[in-house]
Amino acid sequence: MRRTKMRRTDPGGITSNQILGIFGTGYAGLVTSVCFAELGHTVTAIDKDHDVVARLSDGTPTIHEPGLQELLTGNLESGRLRFTTKAEDAVVGSDIVFLCVGTPPRADGRADLCQVEEVARTIAPLLDGYKLIVEKSTVPARTAYWVDWTIRRLAGPNREFDVASNPEFLREGTAVQDFLKPDRIVIGADTERARSRLLDLYRKGFHCPIVATSVTTAELIKQTANAFLATKISFINMVSDLCEELGVDVATVARGVGLDPRIGSHFLNAGLGFGGSCLPKDLNALITVAEDNGVDVAMLREVERINTARVERLLAKVDRALWVLPQKVIGVLGVAFKQDTDDIRGAPSLGIIPRLHSAGAIVRVYDPAAAQNIQKLYPPNDRLAYVASAVEAARGADALVILTDWDEFRSLDLGGIRSLMRTPIIVDGRNLFEPARMRAAGFEYHSLGRGEATLRTVPRRVPV
Amino acid sequence: MNICVVGTGYVGLVTGAVFADLGNDVVCVDNVAEKIATLQAGGMPIYEPGLEEMVARNVADGRLGFTTDLTDAVRRSVVVFITVGTPATDTGQTDLGAVEAVAREIGRAMERYTVVVNKSTVPVGTGDLVREVIERHQSRPVPFDVVSNPEFLREGCAIEDTLRPDRIVIGAPTQQVAMTLLELYAPLERPMIITDVPSAEMIKYASNAFLATKISFVNVIANICELAGADITQVVKGMGLDPRIGPAFLQAGLGYGGSCFPKDTDSLVHTAAALGVDFVLLRAAVETNAERAGHFVRMIEKALAPLDDKRIAVLGLAFKANTDDMREAKSIEVGRHLVELGAQIRAYDPVAMDNARRVLPASVVYCDSPYAAAADADAVALITEWNEFKFLNLERLRAVMRRPVVFDGRNLWEPERMRRLGFEYHSIGRRPVLPA
Ligand SMILES: NC(=O)c1ccc[n+]([C@@H]2O[C@H](COP(=O)([O-])OP(=O)(O)OC[C@H]3O[C@@H](n4cnc5c(N)ncnc54)[C@H](O)[C@@H]3O)[C@@H](O)[C@H]2O)c1
Ligand SMILES: NC(=O)c1ccc[n+]([C@@H]2O[C@H](COP(=O)([O-])OP(=O)(O)OC[C@H]3O[C@@H](n4cnc5c(N)ncnc54)[C@H](O)[C@@H]3O)[C@@H](O)[C@H]2O)c1
Repeated sequence: MRRTKMRRTDPGGITSNQILGIFGTGYAGLVTSVCFAELGHTVTAIDKDHDVVARLSDGTPTIHEPGLQELLTGNLESGRLRFTTKAEDAVVGSDIVFLCVGTPPRADGRADLCQVEEVARTIAPLLDGYKLIVEKSTVPARTAYWVDWTIRRLAGPNREFDVASNPEFLREGTAVQDFLKPDRIVIGADTERARSRLLDLYRKGFHCPIVATSVTTAELIKQTANAFLATKISFINMVSDLCEELGVDVATVARGVGLDPRIGSHFLNAGLGFGGSCLPKDLNALITVAEDNGVDVAMLREVERINTARVERLLAKVDRALWVLPQKVIGVLGVAFKQDTDDIRGAPSLGIIPRLHSAGAIVRVYDPAAAQNIQKLYPPNDRLAYVASAVEAARGADALVILTDWDEFRSLDLGGIRSLMRTPIIVDGRNLFEPARMRAAGFEYHSLGRGEATLRTVPRRVPV
Repeated sequence: MNICVVGTGYVGLVTGAVFADLGNDVVCVDNVAEKIATLQAGGMPIYEPGLEEMVARNVADGRLGFTTDLTDAVRRSVVVFITVGTPATDTGQTDLGAVEAVAREIGRAMERYTVVVNKSTVPVGTGDLVREVIERHQSRPVPFDVVSNPEFLREGCAIEDTLRPDRIVIGAPTQQVAMTLLELYAPLERPMIITDVPSAEMIKYASNAFLATKISFVNVIANICELAGADITQVVKGMGLDPRIGPAFLQAGLGYGGSCFPKDTDSLVHTAAALGVDFVLLRAAVETNAERAGHFVRMIEKALAPLDDKRIAVLGLAFKANTDDMREAKSIEVGRHLVELGAQIRAYDPVAMDNARRVLPASVVYCDSPYAAAADADAVALITEWNEFKFLNLERLRAVMRRPVVFDGRNLWEPERMRRLGFEYHSIGRRPVLPA
């Protein structure tokens, strides 16, 4: 408390270091915490999971994220960062409280806001003087209104606070980098007081454009951006199906299309579609909000449907490649929803592994980082094993199925792999390889959006 | 190189002029005699910034000529470009009649090896069709190749787009054939994609379909903003800063029109259906776009009803700024609805009024300035985002209107500014500015 007062009287009025309380130490919360600490702020991060807090306090990251370990150790040592399970520690004396708790999808597709509401209820009685409460979790438009309402109801009269929105755009796998060097910072505030404090916080250390707008607009920006990226992926996957019918290569089409700067080449990789904890849920939440308001979002519904159908399409290819599945050995390469992460939420592997298993196949799974997480969901049994390398997954396999675009799969020793397999069949859900190269290496190679073309003896692609 | 361009419309004339400017000898062919006569007399059948000068320069230097004689032009050329129109039929399929007719004539005319380049936007598989038609009609069995080289220029900046395209796509049956076109395009020093014919055809459709989808996506979000009380211009600013999304084509408004997006999206939907793929996503984007004009008219009706005693100034008629092209322009649908509802329309467009007369309801009155159109009007409806409207003297506009009400179908003006100027202001995906 004393430190707060002293700092506010700094000449020039530019607050440099602030005291931050951060609720939730998942991907978003943990990265936010260590990064703000690294920027010189005093950060108290709270999670209700004792285990997580104990491990983080010991300097052990609970998630796989490049660069996280160093920042965690360094800032714990400097004393700018601490972890707690007690809400008071994070609220009392702090200038800004961030909400980074989970907002998972409910069964009906809406965002489950229980964790957000719980934090609001927790904060309310702890308010000590003006407090800025900031949603960093991805929430449907108008959530801030309800957070405000909840706190106001429970905090008693004369409590001064504002609720603002500051959506997080980090991506798992490059989260630290994304947080420290974002493309843009979005600040949604409905009062001058809240806006200027958030602008202050981001003044030092960030050099990107800042979009300052209303709370509701900021909330909508995050979901809209994710829904658009999802649309881009489903669009190219739909074109990919067309390419299969036409016998042309979706990768070439995507390259030609992506060179248009109004389109851009990002998110135009055909394959198994999007997964993860954000795109599917944010898309779905946007759809439900829209439909609740009577807006026709048939387009977004279709984006979702196309994505769900990707898993079926891959399974059909496995079927076609292997005919009868019982007792066939299938090596699965990759379970994370994308490369460089251990996150399996919303990953296509969750749909595919149980299906292969229940079809009677013997499944051998390898992932460089996410195997632990999936083992918790599907414990090993006589037909499901978790192995330590891609080579192990290939040994004696009737087919390899690639589900994640890990770089290490791109550089596999194909000759070695082929010699280990019973039949050299690869079903590639991520189009990691050139069909011509796979054919030359002696594989029967099935991918998405190049399917039939890949089996043709005369390549139709004219090499550049 | 000796080149001939068959079909002297937007694409053909610009392509011909640019290739001539790069030092080739070019003959542009069209079967509409008046068009060729106009061009031969130094006139311009279309409006396109910079085109007139470029054509004049190259005609003067003897590198560019115009003719109706296809046979002669083909015989003198190594490369023949097909740039005729490929309009949509009533059912949304592509009418390939002109392409086929030209292919027939090229086949008959051909006397030595020729590279026939399809630049018109045609459904995947048309390359094969053109090859068959030529083969069937050849008077001499000389060898030839058919190449796909889709065009990405945009009307209004067609010259710039042709000189500095984002990419040049060449779909050729062999590397050797591709080399001929590579040579032709080499001076531009732009990224090239060399692939097979169907992939090249697909790239064009997929690009336009994606851009159409982007526009419809934003318009759906604008609808959500209108109900959630958010501001679409801020939303797109926030999302457009993501380089994986990009700010282009994120303007909410009346949706897309023109001679390309509507027909190319329809055509891709049809191609997909023929292959057994139901492209629901694209159909939904098309439907969203089709609803934009109705949405705008409902907005007007809600604020002004009844319309039968109202005078509405319509600013901008062309399907987009910097063109006189009225094909699939949103002004057609908006205009028709407003007239049906009894409104009296006074319209102004900097260049498209001549073309507009042919497609808008007969009762529309055309004016020579935005202020003349707005005189005594109950409202102004902005349909096309011409730059000159952005810089209108809005005080003057308000002064001549009967009621200061503005409907902005392109979010051209700032709500805050309109409030300050005393307008009632309705735009897309943003809160309306209502009278105090
Ligand atoms: N993961 C990403 O890549 C990413 C990116 C941008 C935004 N987001 C958004 O950030 C939010 C958090 O995502 P995440 O992936 O970090 O989720 P997560 O599930 O990994 O983490 C949430 C954490 O909050 C804790 N928690 C829940 N209730 C709590 C309470 N009452 N008090 C204290 N802690 C509590 C949980 O124990 C958990 O550790 C979500 O809204 C998400 O959409 C995530
Ligand atoms: N306009 C654009 O912005 C644009 C951009 C990219 C691609 N394209 C594509 O390029 C093609 C041409 O488009 P456009 O806008 O230039 O069309 P257009 O209608 O302006 O021009 C077509 C020309 O071809 C002529 N023609 C028709 N049949 C003929 C025949 N048998 N012999 C000789 N000439 C004949 C017509 O008289 C007309 O002048 C279309 O496939 C279109 O989709 C257009």
